[in-house]
Amino acid sequence: MATTISKPETLFGKRIRRQEDPRLITGTAVYLDDIKMPGMHHACIVRSPHAAAKIRAIDTAAAAGRPGVVAVFTAKDTGHLGAVPCAASLPGLRVPRHDLLARDRVYYVGHPVAVVVATDRYLARDAAEMVEVDYEPLPAVADPEKALAEGAPAVHPEWPGNVAFTFHQEGGNIEQAFSEAEVVVKQRITSQRLIPTALETRGVVADWRPGENSVTLFSSTQIPHLMRTLVAGILGMPENRLRVVTPEVGGGFGSKLNVYAEEALMAFISMRIQKPVKWVESRRENFTCTIHGRGHVDYFELAARRDGVMLGLKLKLIQDLGAYHQLLTPAIPTLSVLMMPGLYKFQNVSADIVGVFTNCVPTDAYRGAGRPEATHGIERMVDILAAELAMDPVEIRLKNFVGNDEFPYTTPTGLSYDSGNYAAPLRKALEQVDYPALRREQAQAREEGRLMGIGVSTYGEICAIGPSPSMPAGGWESATVKIEPTGKVTVLTGASPHGQGEETTFAQVVADELGVPMDDVLVVHGDTSVVQYGIGTFGSRGTAVGGAALFYALQDLKAKVKKFGAMLLDAPAVILSGGSCVDERTGKSVSFAEVAAAAYHAKRLPPATEPGLVSTHFWEPPNFTFPFGAHVVVSEVDRETGDIRIRRYVAVDDCGKIINPLLVDGQVHGGVAQGLGQALWEQAVYDENGQLITGELTDYALPKAHLMPWIESSHTETPSPVNPLGVKGVGEAGTIGCSPAVVNSVVDALSPLGVRHLDMPLTPEKIWKAIQGGQA
Amino acid sequence: MKISGAYTLAVSRDRAFVLLQDPLVLARAMPGCESLERIGPDEYAMKMKMVLASMSGLFDGKVRIADSHPPASFRLIVEGKGKIGFMKGEGVLTLTESATAETPDAASASPACHIQYEGDVQVGGTIAAVGQRLLDTTSRLLIKRFFEKLSGEAASVSHFVA
Repeated sequence: MATTISKPETLFGKRIRRQEDPRLITGTAVYLDDIKMPGMHHACIVRSPHAAAKIRAIDTAAAAGRPGVVAVFTAKDTGHLGAVPCAASLPGLRVPRHDLLARDRVYYVGHPVAVVVATDRYLARDAAEMVEVDYEPLPAVADPEKALAEGAPAVHPEWPGNVAFTFHQEGGNIEQAFSEAEVVVKQRITSQRLIPTALETRGVVADWRPGENSVTLFSSTQIPHLMRTLVAGILGMPENRLRVVTPEVGGGFGSKLNVYAEEALMAFISMRIQKPVKWVESRRENFTCTIHGRGHVDYFELAARRDGVMLGLKLKLIQDLGAYHQLLTPAIPTLSVLMMPGLYKFQNVSADIVGVFTNCVPTDAYRGAGRPEATHGIERMVDILAAELAMDPVEIRLKNFVGNDEFPYTTPTGLSYDSGNYAAPLRKALEQVDYPALRREQAQAREEGRLMGIGVSTYGEICAIGPSPSMPAGGWESATVKIEPTGKVTVLTGASPHGQGEETTFAQVVADELGVPMDDVLVVHGDTSVVQYGIGTFGSRGTAVGGAALFYALQDLKAKVKKFGAMLLDAPAVILSGGSCVDERTGKSVSFAEVAAAAYHAKRLPPATEPGLVSTHFWEPPNFTFPFGAHVVVSEVDRETGDIRIRRYVAVDDCGKIINPLLVDGQVHGGVAQGLGQALWEQAVYDENGQLITGELTDYALPKAHLMPWIESSHTETPSPVNPLGVKGVGEAGTIGCSPAVVNSVVDALSPLGVRHLDMPLTPEKIWKAIQGGQA
Repeated sequence: MKISGAYTLAVSRDRAFVLLQDPLVLARAMPGCESLERIGPDEYAMKMKMVLASMSGLFDGKVRIADSHPPASFRLIVEGKGKIGFMKGEGVLTLTESATAETPDAASASPACHIQYEGDVQVGGTIAAVGQRLLDTTSRLLIKRFFEKLSGEAASVSHFVA
């Protein structure tokens, strides 16, 4: 018998505007600094102006006597508390104790030394300047290679030499690969220190409620649940007495994938002063005290045959760790090693990481976290090899790609690439720019003395992070779906989206699965007292892991809905269609709301069925996902000024199935902006004394809107077999694909002058010097 | 950051040397100097207002004179800290007799002293993070102002003496 209800159109794959946007763009969203509470006090942190110094004495008397000041805390008050945690572990890793406030020594400019608490933010700030710290300055070292040199100042006196760890990984037979090689190219490639610079700086509000014996901690974070566990550990309080709430987060990019001293400090202070307390990071603090990204010096050697077939890759990786390990600091370069073969099928690799302490703020995950460095390395090396062999950089890539029939493909670094068609996005991008015509134009331009470049990067990345065995604290994600008694649907996700748009994409998935209107779906996240435990949002995992958990929770719930539907219709079985349970034999149906009411009123229950319509699923991914893509950049360099003009930016990304192309485009745009920032403008610079001299937006060159090229974004879709949605993740793709495409393009433009490699950022000054050098 | 330069004062070398070590004169000549107090032989406590880039703040510091070879040279060591960071500077000033001062009135030969300075300045904290790019030009400007004022002091003092 035919049903009377037609199959509704699915929302999967539709360009749907973000549910979150109206509140964000009308100023009605609540960010951390919007939180106000009766009796709320304000904290200001006194920080070291020295990169390395002994603390001889701290005199807080003058500050404590200032108007409005209720307390001043130093390490004497907080010394009994736990340390700022590092979750990463590596064999032989040296982990310096990272106290909440410096005890007798400071290790980087910005190191927290004392906290002043006052009734008003400005009074706290004024009083903080009255705290007298008697420092005995010590020699500092800010450059990782200098820190490794003989006689360098020891960042931590107990570990002269400044080596925090060494890590070796190899696969295949690297010696044989190099002995059989007909050509070996070598290059030192840096991925400079970057400052993540979220629009919203960090901030914490702690609210101790003595009657409830609990603390509510509001924090602008990507990982509310992990923060709850870790901060409870620092404070030595029961985890279930600490509630972490994440308000709207104005950008994280990895810089809020962390637990900082301030979270535990504010909770401690609120308990001590018996009042709510707020701390909001200033922009200058954000520059010096929130983690930086990258900080690589990489020495690559690539072995190949003369026909362009690559045989093996060696890497010596020097990672600037900064003075301490933050949550994942030492783990980031290991991700670079995992992804060092890129999309290519050579089976021989060898990598040695040296993690180096410096008197700088710690590095940690920043958009891409380890993969941009790896991709920049291999994609630059492929171009250098192509130049050495006088081959077309496209041809050499096509020759070395893992083939479409080789998936799942095991890399020499031990990963299993889930699915791929690596030539497809490259071919699509080249078609879009008409590559042969561009090369002809370039030849013409060169004859005219113009410097035109065409750069290609074909990147692979590791996403949907990740299976729990590879993670310090679990790599699964959770979802609870509740069909409320009125039929409205509430989703509680353990992921903690902060701009990725899962309130929209998850609602799309729910709407498709349950057949309810999207507007009936509310996606809730970021409150540990409401949401079951979760891991958080980072590593392009929100949809690829959290979405899969949601999918499975929905399947369980659908089964239960159908049981109630069948009961109400007196049918042996029903189907879900258009928001109703339908008896296919009769065409009779009951609405979702009727089913929900029945499930909660529970006058009758199907056999062996509990009342209510709630389902929770914790989903453990069997593997990572491996998105890929091709970015093509056409550039032109001004011979006189060294200025670079990006004429075209074409990004073809394959992130598996796409739930909402509009949001994917948004992720690509943001990612490319941050990749361009690294390629062209951004660099965190410490002087030789460990002073950060790019400490303000006037000195740290973030990309601005008018500097952005038009991004031509499109996709190929190779579904992932890892999760039921077929999605792979796209949060970091733009950044990862971008920087090598830009540098390859500019080096290509300058190649007639004999330029073979340039390190980022490609400032006009650097380009101009290269042009002068090349012409000399 | 390395700094170096030279200035010519329209006084004799002996006179210039004395002026450069006179706390009252220095306090008036140093831009932003709010007080300079002798706290020991060749050592002074100083309060100084410093403006750099978008910041300004009061510095509490010490000025010390070492390796004094009157009237030919001395070493000046300045250390200060304040709300916006700290600064440390050290340099050698070398004084040589100069034939004439560059005065409009060049015809009348008057004694002059050529002062050569060479040193190193280091700043830390917010002042480094925010102001480093302006440090070079600001230092030059401050030193120029200092010598100009000193020049004025020299003129008025010599007038008074005369």
